[in-house]
Amino acid sequence: MCQHSRPEGDPAGQASGDASGDASQKASGAPVWRRPPRGAQGEGQGPAAFVAALAALEQAPGRRVGRLELVAAALAAMPALGVARDREAYHRLLRLLPRGVWVPRGPFQRLLAPFPRQQECGLQILEQMEQYGVIPDAETRFLLLGVFGPHSRPVRKCQRMLYWLPRLRHVDPHPLPPSLPPSGLATAHLGLRRIANDPDAHITVYQRPVPDEGDDEGSIQPYIVGAQSPDQQELLARHGPARPVFVEGPFPLWLRSTRLSYYVLRGDPLPPHLREDPPDPERSLYYPLHLDLDLERGPWDDDDFDVEEVEEGPVFALCIAGAGDRHTLGKWIAGLQEANPVLGCTPVVFRLGDGEPTTAGAPGGHPEPRLEAAPPRPVVLGPPDPPRRHGHSTSGDTRSGGGPGAPPAAPGE
Amino acid sequence: MMRGLLLLRALRPALRGAAAVRRLRTAAPRPAFAKELFVGTLRKEEVFPYPEISNEELEEINQFVGPVEKFFNEEVDSKKIDQDAKIPPETLKGLKDLGLFGMQIPEEYGGLGLSNTMYARLGEITSLDGSIAVTLAAHQAIGLKGILIAGTDEQKAKYLPRLASGEHIAAFCLTEPGSGSDAASIQTRATLSEDGKYFLLNGSKVWISNGGLANIFTVFARTEVVDKDGQLKDKITAFIVERDFGGVTHGKPEDKLGIRGSNTCEVHFENTKVPIENVIGEVGGGFKVAMNILNSGRFSMGSASAGMIKKLIEMTAEYACTRKQFNKKLSEFGLIQEKFCFMAVKAYVMESMAYLTAGMMDRPGFPDCSVEAAMVKVFSSEGAWACVSEALQILGGLGYMKDYPYERYLRDTRILLIFEGTNEILRMYIALTGMQYAGKILTDKIKQIKKGNVGMALGEFLNKVQDTMGRKVDYGLVGDRGVVHPSLQESAKKLEENIYYFGATVRGLLSRFGKTIVEEQLVLKRVADIVINLYAMTAAISRASRSISIGLRNHDHEVLLTNIFCMEAYFKNNYAMTQLEKYADENLDDSIKKAAKLVLEKRAYTCSHPLDRTF
Repeated sequence: MCQHSRPEGDPAGQASGDASGDASQKASGAPVWRRPPRGAQGEGQGPAAFVAALAALEQAPGRRVGRLELVAAALAAMPALGVARDREAYHRLLRLLPRGVWVPRGPFQRLLAPFPRQQECGLQILEQMEQYGVIPDAETRFLLLGVFGPHSRPVRKCQRMLYWLPRLRHVDPHPLPPSLPPSGLATAHLGLRRIANDPDAHITVYQRPVPDEGDDEGSIQPYIVGAQSPDQQELLARHGPARPVFVEGPFPLWLRSTRLSYYVLRGDPLPPHLREDPPDPERSLYYPLHLDLDLERGPWDDDDFDVEEVEEGPVFALCIAGAGDRHTLGKWIAGLQEANPVLGCTPVVFRLGDGEPTTAGAPGGHPEPRLEAAPPRPVVLGPPDPPRRHGHSTSGDTRSGGGPGAPPAAPGE
Repeated sequence: MMRGLLLLRALRPALRGAAAVRRLRTAAPRPAFAKELFVGTLRKEEVFPYPEISNEELEEINQFVGPVEKFFNEEVDSKKIDQDAKIPPETLKGLKDLGLFGMQIPEEYGGLGLSNTMYARLGEITSLDGSIAVTLAAHQAIGLKGILIAGTDEQKAKYLPRLASGEHIAAFCLTEPGSGSDAASIQTRATLSEDGKYFLLNGSKVWISNGGLANIFTVFARTEVVDKDGQLKDKITAFIVERDFGGVTHGKPEDKLGIRGSNTCEVHFENTKVPIENVIGEVGGGFKVAMNILNSGRFSMGSASAGMIKKLIEMTAEYACTRKQFNKKLSEFGLIQEKFCFMAVKAYVMESMAYLTAGMMDRPGFPDCSVEAAMVKVFSSEGAWACVSEALQILGGLGYMKDYPYERYLRDTRILLIFEGTNEILRMYIALTGMQYAGKILTDKIKQIKKGNVGMALGEFLNKVQDTMGRKVDYGLVGDRGVVHPSLQESAKKLEENIYYFGATVRGLLSRFGKTIVEEQLVLKRVADIVINLYAMTAAISRASRSISIGLRNHDHEVLLTNIFCMEAYFKNNYAMTQLEKYADENLDDSIKKAAKLVLEKRAYTCSHPLDRTF
């Protein structure tokens, strides 16, 4: 809709921006918006910390300067503090902005693209709201009007969002919960529910992970969870033991930004005469199921599209497992045999690809297992320039330097 | 009184003369009236004049009706039966003494040997209590029908006398937990013993009427049969099973919404030894037996429903003419009058249909009236339900109270739409049987047109043009040599027109859908509705015409009712036929299917709550 810069904007741009504000902050030592996170440790991490930090800012004396950087930093910190989906948090940010100062005076100023950086900042807030699916409300619009004036870009964007976001809110026919559980069994459940589109399908945990919390990697025993519907059981029984069935995979499945890998048990299509029982004239006690007529359906009532259909074999079962080796999948097949006795005497062929079987995080992420049981990096409510980071930044650097696919070292080190 | 009844039974043979020959059935089956409607022909000799019974027969049946009516009015306590969910033994004994357990069993086996018409007449009275009607129907309309129509002479001689006297009660065991109308999912199995002398029967049946009372069961089970290719195949076989064979147990009676006094329960067979002589028909021929039993038992529901509605009209009319609102009697309000008219029309038409069908079935030869019987069942069960509902409406809050019998009527009536083949399934049966018949005749013609036989196509086109310009349809119902009384001229004309265009519609449907019409249930439903209406119109016109011609009492009222019904049915038919001419996206079929699919995919009502918001 409109251009915007990521929260991780380059520090140079900021330095050249609101020069006076920057100078004043430096003069007063550590900027006021840097301190609260550590000061607010007592209130804990999360939404409370965010509220406390902003409240502290409200009460800080002095000129309200450096607001743009403040907002950018707050936006960057919001996901980690868990307030990225909270509309009230965005309102708090908007309330930090000065009211009336940035409203263009007169039509001529309005024509000349007034307060570009300031409007950009407003747009960024809205952009992030959009990204996290936060729908603005009347109050958002009211606050924006106060800050930027009518017909400004942020207000217009807000109006567009008000129009579109409610309409698009429920377009996903298979909604996921607002926050995904940590990867592992619970996510696998979600994934299977999503691809096994039959409400009758049973989702069975064939093997629980050990240790319980264990992610797939490094755990002693990976989890195996599979889905099979009664229809699939019937198909498998009809398939018979004479023809082999195949275990194929891994295939990727994305739940938001989490990648899962699933495996299917399938067979080759049966020859047509075996697919269905021959019609039995003595089947329906009350009315004929077939008419003995030599007349076909006319073209006018043939409302199907002319689709070139590719024959595909039936899928008998699905599974998501913590590990993609033959041993683990073999256990799945063994578990399936309980409900499908025919599988005991059917040859099973494993056709496993070399796709990444594990639930990897972001591509190119840290490949090593977590050796140190370090707590997640504490969130620093600061502008996104890494040079002045304290505390855990050293360990973070070593870690990122170690991996082969690590991003280039942060600039300005 | 009882003694008088017994005396009556003893006197019966003397009263009856040559009537015993009436169930001689030798001629080949001939296509009956309803199927011909599908090709747009009206076989008026089948339905005009309205069937009559002889004076002797009438006298005979009237001698029955009196005592039975008296018994039901005086000795049957329907309220108690409904409350206790049991028919008291003395009531059952009374029914047995009246001979009501053997109404259609021939006299040589100790039954009353009633014709279908007379059976329908008695059904009118027995229906005054739903539980008794169902008990009797389960006993003789389906329970022992197998022995009656397909049993050997030995089987008949062995079982029928005691069944006729009511000493033994029969039950029909077809339904299973996993099988309603799908014979393929019958799980009960009969295995032949090694010496080949008996079958071992194993399995469970559910919802068996009379299951707890019966001593004789008609059971359907799978048996292995060597078919003509020399392969072993599972086929259905019908057996007569006595409770004394051992291994027969039944569950506790089911608690039901209506017909609570009738006994319905599960029946289990465990290694029951059934001698090979007790197979009905031949081994592997059970499917046909089951179909014939089911098809033959339905026609009586018409007269039964009519009997009940007539009683209901009496009771509600009494109320409407006495209760006053705003200084006016209820009967003076137009909306109440409309309901009485509605009930009278329905009762009149279903009665006409029932006795017309019974009369057709009683004719010599072997008429195949299964489609007509199914139509009677569908029409009368739905009519009965609608009428009871209207009656309750007339009564207002009073009808809802348990102190009055009306709510029991409502509950009892609901089963009519469900049992003996649900109305949905019977509609499919009616429409598809007719389509099959019409298709056989029309295949060649339609194929020619499809192939592009210009002459034929042109003929068809001209025909269509003539249709649209308004064609004079004349089947000879009215006019100089007509069979319908002139006062019914309008109705008869409408019937003729409907029949003609119905034939054209069927032809159109066959050429459009061919044999895939089996899948088009929404289309078939309309077809069935039209043909049921046509048959109903025919029956009503035929009966009213007879009444007015021979001068029955109140014949003018009959004419009025007939004209009302025919007018309404004519418009309904026209509407349905217009819908049938359209394609699926125009007559809403597509949308209906789509809406249903969405709901069924989610298995819930999917719309958001009206108070929901998105922001």
